Amino acid sequence: MHGRIKIKSTAQQEEEKRKEREKKLKIYVSARDTCFSKRKEGILDEEALQVTQQLLSSNPDFATLWNYRREILMHLETVKEKDEVQKIYEAELAFLESCLKLNPKSYGSWHHRCWVSARLPRPDWSRELSLCDRCLSLDDRNFHCWDYRRMVVKVSGVPVAQELGFTDRLIGSNFSNYSSWHYRSTLLPLLHPESPESPSPSHEPPQPSPSHSPQTQSHRVCEEQLLKEYELVQNAFFTDPNDQSAWFYYRWLLGRAEREEMISCVYVSRDEERVAVAFSRPVNAQSVSLLLVLDGQPQKVEWKSVHPRFKHSPVCICDLPPGTISDITNEHNLTVHWTEKYTHRDCALYTGRTESWCRDSATDQELFRSELSVEKTSVLQSELQSCNQLLELEPLNKWCLLTIVLLMRALDPLGYEKETLAHFQTLKEVDPMRSAYYSDLCSKFIIENTVLKMEYAEVRVFSITDKNLTTLCHLDQLLLVTHINLSSNQLQQLPPQFAMLQCLEVLEVDNNRIENLEGVYHLPKLEEVLLKNNKISALADLQPLASCPKLRRLDLRGNPVTQAANIESELTALLPSVTDLLL
Amino acid sequence: MAEEENQFEEFDQIDFLRDRHVRFFQRTLQVLPERYASLETTRLTIIFFALSGLDVLDALDVIEKNIMIEWIYSLQVLPTEDQSNLSRCGFRGSSHIGIPYSTKGPGVLHPYDSGHVAMTYTGLCSLLILGDDLSRVNKQACLAGLKALQLEDGSFYAVPEGSENDIRFIYCAASICYMLDDWSGIDIQKAIEYIRGSLSYDNGFGQGAGRESHGGWTYCAIASLCLMGRLEEALSQRELDRIRRWCIMRQQTGFHGRPNKPVDTCYSFWVGATLELLDVFQYTNFEKNRSFILSTQDRLVGGFAKWPDSHPDALHAYLGLCGLSLIGEPSLRKVHPALNITQRAFQHLQHLQQTWRGSAGSCSRQH
Repeated sequence: MHGRIKIKSTAQQEEEKRKEREKKLKIYVSARDTCFSKRKEGILDEEALQVTQQLLSSNPDFATLWNYRREILMHLETVKEKDEVQKIYEAELAFLESCLKLNPKSYGSWHHRCWVSARLPRPDWSRELSLCDRCLSLDDRNFHCWDYRRMVVKVSGVPVAQELGFTDRLIGSNFSNYSSWHYRSTLLPLLHPESPESPSPSHEPPQPSPSHSPQTQSHRVCEEQLLKEYELVQNAFFTDPNDQSAWFYYRWLLGRAEREEMISCVYVSRDEERVAVAFSRPVNAQSVSLLLVLDGQPQKVEWKSVHPRFKHSPVCICDLPPGTISDITNEHNLTVHWTEKYTHRDCALYTGRTESWCRDSATDQELFRSELSVEKTSVLQSELQSCNQLLELEPLNKWCLLTIVLLMRALDPLGYEKETLAHFQTLKEVDPMRSAYYSDLCSKFIIENTVLKMEYAEVRVFSITDKNLTTLCHLDQLLLVTHINLSSNQLQQLPPQFAMLQCLEVLEVDNNRIENLEGVYHLPKLEEVLLKNNKISALADLQPLASCPKLRRLDLRGNPVTQAANIESELTALLPSVTDLLL
Repeated sequence: MAEEENQFEEFDQIDFLRDRHVRFFQRTLQVLPERYASLETTRLTIIFFALSGLDVLDALDVIEKNIMIEWIYSLQVLPTEDQSNLSRCGFRGSSHIGIPYSTKGPGVLHPYDSGHVAMTYTGLCSLLILGDDLSRVNKQACLAGLKALQLEDGSFYAVPEGSENDIRFIYCAASICYMLDDWSGIDIQKAIEYIRGSLSYDNGFGQGAGRESHGGWTYCAIASLCLMGRLEEALSQRELDRIRRWCIMRQQTGFHGRPNKPVDTCYSFWVGATLELLDVFQYTNFEKNRSFILSTQDRLVGGFAKWPDSHPDALHAYLGLCGLSLIGEPSLRKVHPALNITQRAFQHLQHLQQTWRGSAGSCSRQH
């Protein structure tokens, strides 16, 4: 099934082919029968080798036969002299070469060659490497061959520098060689590792994992080598800006830091006697190891997620026993311990205050920048300059535009906001196939910038209006928000994640396409919901609002549901706390 | 979606030749051409392509289901009297070893007879598609056979005597456990570690650690995690976003499996379904995808090929249909993106699982 092209043939050619096939069939069937009867009798001899050879030549994917051959070879090892065994295995390699010529993508053949190479008394690794070279020159994307080469390199101890040189040659002759760039990405961290002394923020010893990919975030390349690599990659994408190989590699080079795992916010409210905890990554409320200590006393509380359909969430909540913190004349000290990560966060609730919190802002955490923040600003600046130069020559190149957007967001998301939005517009025009994806990405960046602006202004109001927002994200950053305005966008739903907005008092989401309000669920402080001109069509869609005890004002004008019979009385029954209902 | 309907109005000029495809699969189930000989040992997978293809086309009435069911059961490697071969149980690919035909136990011991993880997977799927209740599947034996295939690093062999080991067989194993509603056959934690270790620098998945990203292996990774119910635990939001980016860049007209490779019909499913599981399939361009898939349609014999002007084959015929189903082609049944069977067959499975749980009382369902 490997892409057989249609070739027309004459009737005579067809007849000749048919006769040929008949002959082959007879031979195949008799060989197969001989083979199995021999095996049944437990015969492991050279005739068996010959017979299996015949069969495997026409069908290299008959795995059982390779297994049988391995049994025969292992048996021969025990009864023959070392030199004879060497000859037998070399013959095996020759046979395998002919199989691979016929079908260079057969799993069975490559697997067997691996096995043979490992057992050969005197292996000739340079011969194996040259086989790989020949195979790759015919098809440089044959991953079976690349995988085999990696094994040979590992077992025979070919120096990493030599292999890096090999990729230099391949890339030098053809920048489009994606497999070579990939191979390079695995070699580079081995040859030029960043210092292994960087302390692990969670104080855990680094876990060596045999199956771990060598290019993962913990394996960085030292700076000196990185600068050389940038030059190599820039050569590549300046030569052919439309080839994605170099761009993907470049993005990896620019580096990615993983944030340390921590509690990013603890919020406590006297009115509901509730504690909300935000984490740097989603956790499972039922299994996360949290300890709440109040005024020096560990508390027995039940942690839960903000919505039953959202189990793996960055925000968890728990309710304190009634009366614990309700007296406003008392001061309390809370500590939340995330025991498995050896980290904690304190929060003091002062006399006279109804609520309190302690958090690292998104700005502090370099939340939206840390994609590339490992690199020095100076390096990123110079990379941005190079890419902008290329953009002057190739203004419609999408890879260039995307990379520039990435660099700008790493350097100064707010400062470059205007350019970023302009580049997104261009991206949608030059790569229209993915314009919906770019819209989604752009929505995300707009949300990120709004979070940053909100923090800068030190307010708890979040507003994005008339920006074609199609989707919501980073809702865990909005835990403290009291007023949110998302009017005049393209939103279709407020998903379960929306329930992370535990402090929300006013929700304005007029002029969208909202059909689903699942996430407006058990929001304890929510008083006003403005939903004018949306697509709420059934009473059932409004069910989640019944879980918000303080809801008093609801604007449903311009929604299909207002046309339903008896809607006013049904709503009064569903939402008894609402005194101000607009239909 | 309103946008989809408009696209189909304009592009219906490329006809979808449903009846040809039905006949293509019918012929596949009767006799295979000579060039499929090398696939004899994996014949059950071809049966699966044909059966599931007919299911997607809503044309299962053209075959005799009971005969098929019996034949599939004859491929089950059952425990022997003394149960000494449990670690070799499962389904075999065809009768090529020469075991005498039998749909009942006890099993016959044969030094080279064993289940193959991909055959067990496609065998179970095929039985479900045919409406069977899996009552003759020896579940404990299958799971024991599965357990014997997992290595220390979390990946799986295909057969107990050993073979290559990689992420494809993790997917088969996860599907088997999901269908049998029993995860005792797989060490999930280790499998997740192997999958995570296969995530490459460019945010696609390779067959294993350090290997090149590929649309097929990315499907295996994501679909496995979804079946295990661990997608968002195993991968951070950031990683998921990056994976989405790598996948969405695979669309050229149709989809290719790796950068700088030509587009190939089957990736409309492998990458398309991955994007669907990651909730961003709606951002792809449906009309270009459809045009490409239909350009590989064989107007004479039916089926789809890998590329235009090539011979169609069962795999590309089936996955081409699945690709069209994902974009909402009107005459096709919807496909479950992680399990790769129709939603109809999936509902049959759910119904079966409910009756199992009802009678058993307890369940070890992973969610």
